[in-house]
Amino acid sequence: MKKLQGFGYPIFFVVMALLPHLLDSRWQAVAITFLIFAVVALSQDIILGKSGMFHMGQALFFGMGAYITAILNAQYGWPLLTTIPVAILVPAFFGVILAGPIVHLRGDYLLVTTIGFNIVFVQVVQNNLGGITGGPNGIFGLDSMSFFGIQLVSQVAVYYFAFAVLLVTLLIMRNLEKSKAGRALHYLREDQLAAESIGINTRIYKIFAFAVGAGIAGLAGTVFATQYSAVSPEAFNFMQSVLFFSIVIVGGSSVPGVLIGVFVMFVLPEIFREFATWRFFIFGFAMIAAMILRPHGIWPATFGKIPKFLIKGDNHGA
Amino acid sequence: MARNELILSDVTKRFGGLTAVDALSLKVEEGQIYGVIGPNGAGKTTVFNCITGIYKSEEGSVNWRGEEIRGLTPYQIVDRGIVRTFQTIRLFSQMSVAENIMSGRHIKSSQKLWHGIIHTAASRRDELFNWHKVEEQLDFFDLGEFAATPTGSLPYGIQRRVEMARALAVEPTLLILDEPAAGLNDKETLELLETIFKIRGKGVTVLLIEHDMDMVMEMTDYLAVINFGKLIAEGTPAEIQQNPAVIEAYLGSEDDDDE
Repeated sequence: MKKLQGFGYPIFFVVMALLPHLLDSRWQAVAITFLIFAVVALSQDIILGKSGMFHMGQALFFGMGAYITAILNAQYGWPLLTTIPVAILVPAFFGVILAGPIVHLRGDYLLVTTIGFNIVFVQVVQNNLGGITGGPNGIFGLDSMSFFGIQLVSQVAVYYFAFAVLLVTLLIMRNLEKSKAGRALHYLREDQLAAESIGINTRIYKIFAFAVGAGIAGLAGTVFATQYSAVSPEAFNFMQSVLFFSIVIVGGSSVPGVLIGVFVMFVLPEIFREFATWRFFIFGFAMIAAMILRPHGIWPATFGKIPKFLIKGDNHGA
Repeated sequence: MARNELILSDVTKRFGGLTAVDALSLKVEEGQIYGVIGPNGAGKTTVFNCITGIYKSEEGSVNWRGEEIRGLTPYQIVDRGIVRTFQTIRLFSQMSVAENIMSGRHIKSSQKLWHGIIHTAASRRDELFNWHKVEEQLDFFDLGEFAATPTGSLPYGIQRRVEMARALAVEPTLLILDEPAAGLNDKETLELLETIFKIRGKGVTVLLIEHDMDMVMEMTDYLAVINFGKLIAEGTPAEIQQNPAVIEAYLGSEDDDDE
């Protein structure tokens, strides 16, 4: 699997870089959404996969980023790209204050609480809070991207924007893996008591996971708002959170796993669109089969990524 | 600086109506190998949990180097140089041996939270430095060949070693071992004995619970015997072996036999 990963990444990057030139406009749109969902699913993986917290409200942070971009652009005339810092920092801040009181909750209790947060968010934007969220219709007619004065109207431009965001996210995921903070998340997921007894303040790291996950999802929200030049409440409802949750569970808590998960859960149903609603029937069974056959996901997390000088002899373990 | 002494005075821990630890006082001095023994259910592990912050005792004081540590959280107590192992091994079982030991370097690492997102030259140096510290523990415990192996797939005896290596990676002043010989065969127990002496040789004070009487008598400098949460005897191993209260607790009194 390691070898596969060594070849897999360059091939994946090359294919993704060339992809928009091979597709018609409908499939370009699907590809952009694939990239956006991949980023959100990776952010969900930080909270659900790495830290083991059953968080089913990721659409909240995704939507918050999208709405911030939309509001700043439509109401205050900010160029889309300048909204990025706000669309990252505000969800990250909400990640901290929402997670703070709830991270001590276990499994199913945490899950229900995060669903609650998601529902509250959708209700708030639907009811047009402060007259700026546009109510049930949302906000539409956003500007197109401009980069140093050059208007980037085409779908291909949005695609490369989304691709750049995915690359940044992958870089963060890699840095996280090779850092004290990233390992702390794995430790607390595996055994919280052991983690505390070895000196890890698990509460801080759980909140950290929420902050990073929320910030990345917020960034993905900006791309989403850019793609559709609009935002509306139903794009960020509870069902969307279920999708991101399932992607990580079905795919497995690893970068290839999450990408496969997004492909299986989002792209495949698009491919089989001609079968109308029957595709969801097959899709549901595929999910069930995947979980029975591979309970840790299609491509589960791998460990043992340790410096080479520590590996002695032939025993390479996992 | 105050001496590295752990002083428990009148520590009491209740669970509902049950008093698991009853006004217990003991004193662990610097450089000792201090043993706590007692029949099953005597409250030994509860005492350890009260020291390491997993439980908070209702009454009494836990004093470490002149500082009251009762009521601190487990990670705050680790930060003060007290590290423990568990009776039932608690490793991060999907992760490799080296990664498990690396968890012990957590509080020694200088990386901040944001280094999880962006690396700097300093954070890379720190990362490498700590992996080298892990290598030292792998060598000390002779675990080098298992460095990349997930701990869950290792034999029990080796898992015990990994758990001790993880604790020692913190570079503790006081190491607390909860039944370190449980489940080990004779050869492994002998190795463990050697290891514990070597650890003490590094200047680490060792506090341990043990059931293996031969081992306890051979290894410890000082012993406390607990029954029903109370201290019933303390002294050197030789003194304890002669103590009638201890013999009674372990073998039952002669009166009981008559009934």
